[in-house]
Amino acid sequence: MKAMQARVRKLLEENKIDGFIGLKMEHGHPAPFMFSRENLGEMETLVVGDVRYPLNKALLKVSGQYPDLTFGVMVRGCDERGITELLKWNQLHRDRVIPVGVACSSELAQLCECYKPYPSDWVVGEKTEGIAKSKRLQKIEGMNQKERLSYWLNQFNKCIKCYGCRDVCPMCFCEVCSLEDRNFILTGKLPPENPTFHLSRAVHMVGRCIDCGLCEEACPSNIPVRTLYKKINEIVKEYFDYRTGESSEGKSPLNLLGEVTLELSDVNK
Amino acid sequence: MTNSIAEIENSKCIFIIGSNTSEAHPLIGSRILKAKEKGAKLIVADPRKIQLSFYADIFVRHQLGTDVALINGILNVILKEGWYDRKFVEERTEGFKEFRKVVEKYTPENVEKITGVRAQDIRKIADLYARSKSSSIIYAMGITQHITGVDNVKSLCNLAMLCGQIGRESTGVNPLRGQNNVQGACDMGGLPNVYPGNQPVSDGQMAEKFEKAWGTKLSTKPGMTLTEMLKAAMAGEVKAMFILGENPMVSDVDIQHVEKSLEALDFLVVQDIFMSETARLADVVLPGVSFAEKDGTFTNTERKVKRVRKAIEPIGSSRQDWDIICDLSTRMGYPMRYDDPSKILEEVAQVTPSYGGIYYDRIETEGLHWPCPNRAHPGTPYLHKDRFSRGLGLFHAIEYLPPEELPDKEYPYFLTTGRIYVHYHTGTMTRRSPSLNKEVEEGFAEINPRQAKELGIIQGERIKVFSRRGEIEIKADLSERMERNTIFIPFHFVESAANRLTNPAFDPIAQIPEFKVCAVKIEKVNH
Repeated sequence: MKAMQARVRKLLEENKIDGFIGLKMEHGHPAPFMFSRENLGEMETLVVGDVRYPLNKALLKVSGQYPDLTFGVMVRGCDERGITELLKWNQLHRDRVIPVGVACSSELAQLCECYKPYPSDWVVGEKTEGIAKSKRLQKIEGMNQKERLSYWLNQFNKCIKCYGCRDVCPMCFCEVCSLEDRNFILTGKLPPENPTFHLSRAVHMVGRCIDCGLCEEACPSNIPVRTLYKKINEIVKEYFDYRTGESSEGKSPLNLLGEVTLELSDVNK
Repeated sequence: MTNSIAEIENSKCIFIIGSNTSEAHPLIGSRILKAKEKGAKLIVADPRKIQLSFYADIFVRHQLGTDVALINGILNVILKEGWYDRKFVEERTEGFKEFRKVVEKYTPENVEKITGVRAQDIRKIADLYARSKSSSIIYAMGITQHITGVDNVKSLCNLAMLCGQIGRESTGVNPLRGQNNVQGACDMGGLPNVYPGNQPVSDGQMAEKFEKAWGTKLSTKPGMTLTEMLKAAMAGEVKAMFILGENPMVSDVDIQHVEKSLEALDFLVVQDIFMSETARLADVVLPGVSFAEKDGTFTNTERKVKRVRKAIEPIGSSRQDWDIICDLSTRMGYPMRYDDPSKILEEVAQVTPSYGGIYYDRIETEGLHWPCPNRAHPGTPYLHKDRFSRGLGLFHAIEYLPPEELPDKEYPYFLTTGRIYVHYHTGTMTRRSPSLNKEVEEGFAEINPRQAKELGIIQGERIKVFSRRGEIEIKADLSERMERNTIFIPFHFVESAANRLTNPAFDPIAQIPEFKVCAVKIEKVNH
């Protein structure tokens, strides 16, 4: 905590950044806050813990509003993958972001089944080993196809269409969201069209999902969407040899599609 | 709620009746699903095939307004099978004999004829509810908005007492409040017959206590309910009205009558954050503040007093509701002044035993459940542990009464009204939200597809719905959620207001209107 506070203070005092997006303890709860040279006195309230917020989402918002300013942001392994990917998607400027890292506790890493629970550099925490294969995913993969289909349809039927999964997602930055396209998904119905609603979002997570799991935490219906997107990530890795947010090289598979021709055979049969 | 929200998750059996929980109270709906995933049995009784019915171990659709009969049927089985909690009945209750005598008539076979619910399903509900280790009852307006609203609630209390499913963790009788602070408004004496904390107005000692606290003379005569006020306005007995944060021109039963009553007033003041349909009729509109602009406390459905903190300064000339009230009071000759809302809560604590230990410093990070009588008290997540408020729990012998208006030749269908997931009450706020409005822009009438076919109505077609009170034009929405003889209209939409149709028949005790049942006829707009 102290190390993070010192680092942020130094970055601000040396004018390396204009603001830092971190967590502030307020009324007994950590909440996102912009630390700046104007409020240096509040630095003692900056906290680090296992509580997570979509700080990158706040970063996208403020850096869009103030493109000439440079912001620091607290990052975990997943957040760093997010920044890497957002840079590739041209949502952030490389020179305008300075991440300050936190390595996650082993409890959090276990809970997340995170394959890399630490960023490339960190000032708080200790490196713990990642988890190569998600047990939650394995459990679902262990079902036969019929069981699996019924499992997911049953989960999706709980959806109350709050859009919490999308709204909390630091990688959902589209100005127009296809989940809100009424030609595609009927409005006014609960649960939303099953499985179109959830599978559409899942497909849009290709090359986007950095496995932060905030979507699942936000879901009031406890739909295991994170597990679904973990599978998406696995498929992307297997078929496209792409690991979202891992390297600044290469672009996400959907980004590379360009002009393609798809042939539908036997459509009239 | 007798029990707290978190306890729902650990319930072994949840009986939901008259609550579309996942749409209207989604966070409680989420707890119900969690309980289900932990193995709880789920019973859903609702005239509509609501979302939670997919997850029910047993789902029954009883005819509108037959709740008392259904519950008596369940009680009948429990008594007959001996599944009730004898010890609880003996030690904690009275009135059992008279109660038993009435319930004995409601055999599952008799009840099937009234409710349309199969006798075997009634037996199954009785079995699941009575024999689980901890059963919770959850209900909302589907139980209360009937001429038998009070009877319906008492019947549910009978059920909980008979089985000893009350006064313990993860049990209880749990009404879900529609707004974050309805409980708080009632707790603060926003009812005609009580002072804060349910202290009766008619009790002379109470009057004396409050006269001393407030330094003024007080009446021991209870005031009027909303429905009585409107009638009195129409009769010229009430001359002026002050309406805060309420929009009866959409939310109240038989809007035609509401409009005439409000127009009959000499003077109407409305305090709101938007120019609502009711505010439009006002002589003076006072701008209040939204949740984001206010500091204070809310008391939610589980009796938990929680802090709300101001995120932005009040917009324009709007002012804190309490501040406006203080000013008005002062100008009317009774000076009222508080430095800030925490001082108001201090006064609440001094005059309200159930709030006696609730102060700002204690609810800084976590709220407190009342009753919380003193500063050292940890609050009370569930009520009636060792005794009921009146001492022994009283069984009520309750007979089934049909709704005031039933379908007939002229008006052959049932209409029931309710809410949908994107809109909140009269839509004053939610219909102004672009994203919510986009989700559902206009009202609709849910009709069973086979019923619609018989009437020659297709999906999305505009239809006319008539009752003895009025008529509306509305979009037809064909849905398997409804049974053939019943249509559903959400009441949020002023241009197709369900409350132009609803029946102004009232529960004799609570004066709640029968929003949930009336008779209508349906016609195509273009023949």
